Amino acid sequence: MSVLEVRDLTVEYRQRGGARFRAVDGLSFALQEGQTLALVGESGSGKSTVVRAIGQLVKPTAGEILLDGQPAARHGAALRAYRHRVQMIFQDPFASLNPMHTVAHHLRRPLQLRQRHLRGAALDTATADLLRSVNLTPPDEIAAKHPHELSGGQRQRVAIARALATDPDVLLADEPVSMLDVSIRLEILNLLDRLKADRNLALLYVTHDLATARHFSSEIVVMYRGEIVERGPSDEVILHPSHPYTQILSRAAPDPTASRAVLAAARAKRQSARAARAAEEREADLGTGCRFRTRCPFATDICTRHPEDMDVSPGHQARCWLYAIANGSGPLLPLASPDE
Amino acid sequence: MTAGDLVLRAEHVCVEYAGPRPIRAVRDVTVELRRGEVLGIAGESGCGKSTLAYALTRMLRPPAELTRGSITYFPDGGTPVDLMTLDSESLRGYRWNKVSMVFQSAMNALNPVTSLGRQFDDIFEAHRPAMDRAARHRRARELLEMVGIDPARIRGFAHELSGGMRQRVMIAMALALQPEVVIMDEPTTALDVVVQREILDEIERLREELGFSVIFITHDLSLLLEISDRLAVMYAGEIIEYAPSERVGSAPAHPYTLGLLRSFPDIRGARRELRGVPGTPPDLREHFAGCPFGPRCSYAFGPCRSVPPVLRPVAARRGGAEADRWTVACHLHDPDARPDGPPAELGGAAPGTATPVTADDAIGAESGGGER
Repeated sequence: MSVLEVRDLTVEYRQRGGARFRAVDGLSFALQEGQTLALVGESGSGKSTVVRAIGQLVKPTAGEILLDGQPAARHGAALRAYRHRVQMIFQDPFASLNPMHTVAHHLRRPLQLRQRHLRGAALDTATADLLRSVNLTPPDEIAAKHPHELSGGQRQRVAIARALATDPDVLLADEPVSMLDVSIRLEILNLLDRLKADRNLALLYVTHDLATARHFSSEIVVMYRGEIVERGPSDEVILHPSHPYTQILSRAAPDPTASRAVLAAARAKRQSARAARAAEEREADLGTGCRFRTRCPFATDICTRHPEDMDVSPGHQARCWLYAIANGSGPLLPLASPDE
Repeated sequence: MTAGDLVLRAEHVCVEYAGPRPIRAVRDVTVELRRGEVLGIAGESGCGKSTLAYALTRMLRPPAELTRGSITYFPDGGTPVDLMTLDSESLRGYRWNKVSMVFQSAMNALNPVTSLGRQFDDIFEAHRPAMDRAARHRRARELLEMVGIDPARIRGFAHELSGGMRQRVMIAMALALQPEVVIMDEPTTALDVVVQREILDEIERLREELGFSVIFITHDLSLLLEISDRLAVMYAGEIIEYAPSERVGSAPAHPYTLGLLRSFPDIRGARRELRGVPGTPPDLREHFAGCPFGPRCSYAFGPCRSVPPVLRPVAARRGGAEADRWTVACHLHDPDARPDGPPAELGGAAPGTATPVTADDAIGAESGGGER
């Protein structure tokens, strides 16, 4: 069942001189109970803006955010109630905790927001329970510490515990592990995965790492310059990436199993493609048409028109003219396997 | 230039951060870099990999101090230079000229208030005083072009560039004096995958063109396996496995290397249980009685608690020319401590495989072999 729904979300930032920059352009998706949706894209694609808009930290220019079918409140007590139910975890656990306060302080305040009369021993028990739920033990010892006494992984666990303190239904995790060492990323992701199942949370996992997106989510949404260019079931999107951008993303991830010869060949191919595109990229006006066309190896004249979402397979869509043939509007392009 | 010659060798290097209880950040590390080679150094935050990089360029500042060991630079066709004996003036001739460095945070490494051209000028003024203004300008434009940045940017400032472009500028600066060795400390960590891929391609292309050697430091083992020739895995200030990259990915010898390898999902492979490496690294102020990784190791047995393991060649049964250049510091690979050899996933003889039977195998078969 969908808990939180985003409809036609558009966010514009005002720039110096009065110009507007559209960071998110007409985005729609839904978060389901007990499910993880991964939002994938490069730096600057608008991922974090989406999270901030849902968390009500920036005001959408247009579009709706619905919680249980009700438009999200913008002010007062209703906004506070919304925030209790929609919590966030940020990228940098070094910046998101207050260095002046103990771990206990970070958890007590949100606990009391939800349960105003929680005091004394009951409050300590609730704090300890929270710490235990994120595997921070022994809770008494951890609760008394300040952030600088904890490792990056432990800090991120505290941030997760804090988010859980208001007993939310929706958790927005914005690159929750990209600042952490590779060796502890999995522990945090496994923890989020377990909490999602235990508490029936709707989890939005924002990342640029396709491999973990595939492993920890049921559905993947790929963003490029503010719009969704591909969406579908995780395995489907990763194993059969359809939009040329998703293909480039998935090939860019390091592949430790590939042989030297394969790697060298792939590198040579990328380099020639890059050189060919470099010139047109400088001149292109991206005002209309597909925003990816200057980087796209398949771009043709039609790409100056903005593509619609095209069905690739059931539940799997790509916003790319390559797939227009499936919509019956005629064979625009030979659908040569864009994998190669 | 002869490929395969040594270009840089660090022997028994120890670095301490002074204090009431000194932090022993690098502990008896020996590494060799050959001409044209990419040496990868992998490990978690705080394992000493960056400290080692600074030690190699003699750039450590108090409280860090190189307390023991030697670093030797082998110039192409010249006599070896012991870097420990160089005074600060001679070190200037070594740094940037012979060995340069690319730092993790290009954001902080570039000067925000002077133009890129001015920063290139600084390099040439310090190291090539004979160059005149026009020559410096020409060379700077050439360098920018070489790393794929419009030379017109030379008047620009760091904040006008994207993260990837800044890292390219850093690389151009590192290559400005045509060094033989470039040390790269997490050069792509702050970048997203697509940009990271572009930078890696760029480094590889430049390396083919210019023939420098690289020491590449990162916590991302999947990346290192792909780009490096040899791989040193560091843990708690020590090198615990030193191996040919192409083979270590499928057959790591150290349980920690195995843990790191299992820390990232395979993007296209089957879904499998992912574990990472539970626990946290030890306090580097301590003296380790046994193996520093012991407390986090699921294979730990008797000697791991009391005897510090030393690097030893990975059992000869792995065969091949690399056998003698593949070392691991782990008691599982010590035939005296563990006669039945390491478990199969750490390169031991898997049951049913046709490995030549050695005396060790025979003993292993009797005692039951396999995992603990």
